Amino acid sequence: MGKALVVVALRQVDPFATVDPLTGTVYAQPRGGLSTADECALEHALRMAESLDARCLACTVGPQEADEVLRTALAAGATEALRVAGEPASEGHTARLLTEAIRARYADPALLLCGDYSMDRGTGATPALLAARFGASQALGLVELTSHNGGLRAERRLDCGRRERLAIELPAVCSVEPSTVRLRRASLPGLLAAREAEIPVASPAESFVDTRIRRRARTAYRPRTRAIAAPAGAAPGQRVRALTGALTEHEPPRLVFPANAAAAASELLDYLEQRGYLP
Amino acid sequence: MIAVIPVRDATAPLGANETVAEAAGHAVLIGSGTAQAADELSALRDCRLIEAGAFAPAGWATGLADLLRDQVVVLPAAPDGRDLAPRLADELDVPLLAGAIEVTEEGAALARWGSRVIDDLAVTGPFVATLLPGTRTASPAPDAPRLTELAWSPVDSADPTVVAVLPPDPRTADLAEAPRILGAGAGLTTGTAPAGAEAVAMLQAVGEMLGASVGATRVVTDAGFADYARQIGTTGVVIHPDLYIAFGISGAAQHIGGIAGTRHLVSVNTDPSCPMTTMADLGIVTDAAALLAELADRLGVKGTTDD
Amino acid sequence: MTSPMSSPVRVAEGERGVASFDAVIVGAGPAGSAAAIELARAGRRVALLERGSFPGAKNVYGGVVYGRVLDELIPNWWTEAPIQRWVTRRQTMLLTPGQALTVDFRTENWGKPPYNGATTHRADFDAWLAGKAEEAGAKLLTSTLVTALRTDPGGRIVGVRTDRPDGDLDAGVVIAADGVNSFLAKQAGLYAEDQLANSTLGVKETLALPRETIEERFGVRGTDGVDIEMIGATKGIPGGGFLYTNLDSLSIGVVVDLTELGKAKVRPEELIAELKRHPSIAPLVRGGEIVEYAAHLIPEGGYHSMPTLTGNGLLIAGDAAAMCLAAGIWLEGVNFAIGSGMYAGRAAAAALAAGDTSTRGLAGYRERLASSFVLADHHKLRGAPGLLMSERVQRKYPAMLCDLVEGVFQVTNPQPKPGFRKLLLRSAKRHGVRLRDLARDAISGIRSYG
Ligand SMILES: Cc1cc2nc3c(=O)[nH]c(=O)nc-3n(C[C@H](O)[C@H](O)[C@H](O)COP(=O)(O)OP(=O)(O)OC[C@H]3O[C@@H](n4cnc5c(N)ncnc54)[C@H](O)[C@@H]3O)c2cc1C
Ligand SMILES: Cc1cc2nc3c(=O)[nH]c(=O)nc-3n(C[C@H](O)[C@H](O)[C@H](O)COP(=O)(O)OP(=O)(O)OC[C@H]3O[C@@H](n4cnc5c(N)ncnc54)[C@H](O)[C@@H]3O)c2cc1C
Ligand SMILES: Nc1ncnc2c1ncn2[C@@H]1O[C@H](COP(=O)(O)O)[C@@H](O)[C@H]1O
Repeated sequence: MGKALVVVALRQVDPFATVDPLTGTVYAQPRGGLSTADECALEHALRMAESLDARCLACTVGPQEADEVLRTALAAGATEALRVAGEPASEGHTARLLTEAIRARYADPALLLCGDYSMDRGTGATPALLAARFGASQALGLVELTSHNGGLRAERRLDCGRRERLAIELPAVCSVEPSTVRLRRASLPGLLAAREAEIPVASPAESFVDTRIRRRARTAYRPRTRAIAAPAGAAPGQRVRALTGALTEHEPPRLVFPANAAAAASELLDYLEQRGYLP
Repeated sequence: MIAVIPVRDATAPLGANETVAEAAGHAVLIGSGTAQAADELSALRDCRLIEAGAFAPAGWATGLADLLRDQVVVLPAAPDGRDLAPRLADELDVPLLAGAIEVTEEGAALARWGSRVIDDLAVTGPFVATLLPGTRTASPAPDAPRLTELAWSPVDSADPTVVAVLPPDPRTADLAEAPRILGAGAGLTTGTAPAGAEAVAMLQAVGEMLGASVGATRVVTDAGFADYARQIGTTGVVIHPDLYIAFGISGAAQHIGGIAGTRHLVSVNTDPSCPMTTMADLGIVTDAAALLAELADRLGVKGTTDD
Repeated sequence: MTSPMSSPVRVAEGERGVASFDAVIVGAGPAGSAAAIELARAGRRVALLERGSFPGAKNVYGGVVYGRVLDELIPNWWTEAPIQRWVTRRQTMLLTPGQALTVDFRTENWGKPPYNGATTHRADFDAWLAGKAEEAGAKLLTSTLVTALRTDPGGRIVGVRTDRPDGDLDAGVVIAADGVNSFLAKQAGLYAEDQLANSTLGVKETLALPRETIEERFGVRGTDGVDIEMIGATKGIPGGGFLYTNLDSLSIGVVVDLTELGKAKVRPEELIAELKRHPSIAPLVRGGEIVEYAAHLIPEGGYHSMPTLTGNGLLIAGDAAAMCLAAGIWLEGVNFAIGSGMYAGRAAAAALAAGDTSTRGLAGYRERLASSFVLADHHKLRGAPGLLMSERVQRKYPAMLCDLVEGVFQVTNPQPKPGFRKLLLRSAKRHGVRLRDLARDAISGIRSYG
């Protein structure tokens, strides 16, 4: 049996794209690259490949310009690269193209790494769909990832500031948050070699259109109208007062000029105390 | 339409009640402590409760499929909902519309390009969507909800094992969700000692005593005194805390743009008429660094150099 | 990041870098890319090293490029260069806090081939020019900082060290095109004195405005644009201001004397803010959203502050060699950078072909420069920086001239109109200008610019 395979899925993003705030038209800029999250995924993939003594494949779905992100990965130490030609229509489409292309050339990966969110779409759904397709376990939005007894240990952010610790068995798909690790500097020989490298391209057989989905419109972002429940109160006057807050007591803003730092600290702590911020 | 709410230890995720409201009160609560979680969701009308133990996206998706088939399914776009929704879509073989600000039976409006663009999609047939928290209000249902407990038979699937759930830690909390924030501005880092990185470290220590996270203006992150992840504003994080204390922050439009949802705002600044102080509930006109040092002293913060 | 070392790295006999090139060019600004194009076209193996993530990523300038010099390098460059607008209208303004005297010139000739000046973004322009070098065969290595020169035991420069792991390169010749305050030139010991003393600081904001608004306010259409330079716009600190039109943004900024800025204790942003509030500028920039703010040094010493241009295995080009022609309102750097880079590339190619890249073998560089516009213009304008930065030109003349013109145009009835001579004497006196100085400055101005 050959060496195990660690895959990192990289998406070329356009961090300088501008959006017309009136129409929502997106103006692409020429210089794409990796998001910080994908850079982190790449670094994790390189580390995991080292610790599992595995090959490291960098792959992307995108046009020819997306070769650049693969060269970045090769320069940093990825052992091989694969581009799937095409413009993915959705997260599901991306996952399908990647899975098919990887399976056609390699065995199923032991570990597949992704960034937590892409910059443009930003749903973080691609990694979960990749896990579904490979039948692998998923651990997403990780802030920490280490190998542990042939498996993985990870920490993940939940909402409201909580976190969870996970034990993960391989095969697995993991997505990582940005700035958890820093992508290593590519060596100069690595950079020179990556510039010259031939990037294999997989061309998917048929183009895929999900006929169930149709785009009605693209507009600039406008917050949704908020429905507010009718205020309580029997008489209309009461309801108007409840809605506008008229005649209810408000604390006016205060401006204080304390004589010294001690007096200032007292002012601040008193304020916090009154608002219930101190235990 | 039906909402699926993953529950951990009787706690529903951010945006759960809004998601229930989007589905007109119809929901499935799955996880641990679902009955208590249901008490907190005022928009519930009709609810299935499933005690399924620890979060397991692959197993839950398989086990829920039959219950959800042929319906539009919506989940809150909080971490657990974002993880479960794609697995459900895959299991049900329907489209996924992730990151919506509005979901109807016919489709959804999706926020894209960092919430600068809306893609309005129409879907024929059922689909799975996730709804971004904070996009709508949820008025309480008129009557107590109808609750039905459903039995759950665990599905054998490849899911990670939850080793532990850690309580919130203000040092690492996502700023966007932190309830209390101390902001570091140029006025804190350039004046009297403590200055620069030292001032930010002390602010961090004081923040821990107050259960508050630390954020910063671009001047401070540009100077390298704080991580970019800590930058508050239009090109940083948008925060919604109960309490925001601004230390030496002038209140530039790009910064103010990130603190719109603050309940109690305090500004510490030597300039009584800077925008931040004029909009604050309490403006303290004094040297920010000296006040910080005094606070550290009063709150019993130990030396900040040892970490 | 490894910080640059102050002295070259000595290479032992037989010690090799990880790769060897005929020429290693440091900096993919206009100077470096022009040199790379020439060398690659001469069939040489060229590495073009750039610390930014792409050429132009961090490069700052005002906004106008004079492309004539490109005719030789890239025929019909105007059909493909990433141009925002062609400058068909040029204004010079003398400002006092409440007055403005403007000389306004427009010509249709500059709006058609072969064109004169154009506004362009450096991120686009530098990337385009470096792309030309790559097309010619040069290897562009980005995000790579050169940290030191490498020399053999005899002191001859044989390559560079970069901040990357295994980052040593060998080179037949190194071209330092690393911009103002070049540390490579310093490391090679080619600067007689500290270049900082001869530098000014340029700061600039980019203000986004709709295309139609710009065309309406500046009276231009299509891809025509405006270039405005100002004197007296810098709160008494020696320097000048500029305002250029891009397609859907404006570049506005000031260039000021570094020492005097320090003494005045104003932040450079405040100078721009003040300029934007000036009654004659405010209506032009109103509503513009700041999309970018940047600051950069400019070598402003001119001819007298240039370093020795060649070393043993080394050439210096562009701002690194103080080639920027910055005489107050006159701010041309990119064209001089391209010109000097081009001649450096040719001289290096000739030296490589002759098999002698020692100081002597590279001497052709200075000769080529001297017989071209590059040194000719610098020699001619060598007195201009001193004159333009003088107290009189900076403070007194704008105020005096504005007063004079205000007097000429003011209708004084029922008093009779005062004569021009009287007005001149009066405003000169009021602003402490001696007519003797005025005459002398005029003569030296004519000598410099004429
Ligand atoms: C395109 C763009 C995007 C931007 N995005 C962001 C963003 O997302 N977030 C952001 O924060 N900024 C952003 N900025 C920068 C923003 O415009 C301001 O420059 C920045 O917010 C100012 O930070 P500050 O308040 O810390 O500094 P300053 O504006 O310099 O204010 C310092 C304040 O400290 C006070 N002070 C001075 N000394 C003391 C002392 N000893 N004690 C107490 N107070 C003192 C001063 O009175 C002053 O009010 C952006 C700018 C641009 C152009
Ligand atoms: C505010 C301002 C306004 C200006 N306005 C104008 C104008 O309107 N028109 C005009 O023609 N000129 C203008 N100039 C001048 C002009 O910008 C410069 O003269 C010109 O950029 C010089 O080109 P260069 O190639 O020599 O140097 P640069 O453009 O400075 O390029 C140097 C390159 O070297 C790279 N580099 C530096 N050190 C290293 C290293 N150690 N390793 C690797 N790479 C390195 C840098 O990243 C950079 O890309 C202006 C300058 C300023 C500051
Ligand atoms: N076109 C693509 N090619 C390769 N990987 C991708 C692609 N799109 C998304 N990914 C991966 O999926 C992650 C999350 O993206 P998204 O689901 O779009 O938010 C990214 O950080 C990438 O790791």
